[in-house]
Amino acid sequence: MYVLNLATRRQFGLLLGAGLVSPLAPKPLLAHDGPHRLEVEISKFRFSPATLTLRQGDSVIWTNRDIAPHSATHTDGDWDTGEIPKDGSAEIRFDTVGKFAYFCVFHPAMKAEIIVESQ
Amino acid sequence: MFRTPFVIALISTMASPLMAEEKMNDLEIAHTAYTAGQLDIRYAHLALAVSENEAVRDFAETMIRDHTAVNVAAGALIGELNVTPQDNALSQALVSGAAAKRAEFMALSGEAFDCAYATNELGYHQIVNQTVGEKFIPWATVPQLKALLSDALVTFKAHEGHAEAMVAGLKCTS
Repeated sequence: MYVLNLATRRQFGLLLGAGLVSPLAPKPLLAHDGPHRLEVEISKFRFSPATLTLRQGDSVIWTNRDIAPHSATHTDGDWDTGEIPKDGSAEIRFDTVGKFAYFCVFHPAMKAEIIVESQ
Repeated sequence: MFRTPFVIALISTMASPLMAEEKMNDLEIAHTAYTAGQLDIRYAHLALAVSENEAVRDFAETMIRDHTAVNVAAGALIGELNVTPQDNALSQALVSGAAAKRAEFMALSGEAFDCAYATNELGYHQIVNQTVGEKFIPWATVPQLKALLSDALVTFKAHEGHAEAMVAGLKCTS
């Protein structure tokens, strides 16, 4: 089951300020001490990192730095951030182990994947 | 404003060759870039009205979404700088060329329309990208305009790739 939470820029800034979200680079996988939020930056029509590994219960926050709106949409259609405008963010929690290919539904050449490992 | 004679040849499938004989200033560049975006949005609306092909319709929707976003950013910059973009010969030629092209499109339907629209989009983005990358960005003197054009070019290059895939997928004969 995935939980979709669209964060506004202000909300996301508050999370950053509270130290709940790591700065730009994704965190390395550590001994799992609770759910983490990992970041994917969308810039110049690329997801970065293109492959992100996380643990069950962790969340991914996509932030769009391009002028054009983007999405992160599961290839099989199980989850979708919806449209993310410039400087907007969207968050999804991953509770199921597996490898999930995704793309931008507006720009299908943009592809990446999420790998969810068991806790 | 300092102006250096220069020639741009805009040769695309969308219209007759368009010529601008002089280096353009920031306000002319802004006007032309905005106009080119608006024209592509208008092509896209026509495609949504005529085409039943999913790939073509998806592309058209993306053109409306992305070019609208770019032009909103351009509008915000214009407001921030408190300037008025300057109409010019190249903008006018783009407008008249696009009107002629739309008239051609409106006589088409089905696969003929899809191929004509897709091919035009590929050619349009190729020439726009060349012009923005090789002329407008080097010519721009206002840093914010140069930055916006650079960001926009990333978007337009993605469109070119998308258009290329659309043309290949349609298997147009000409």
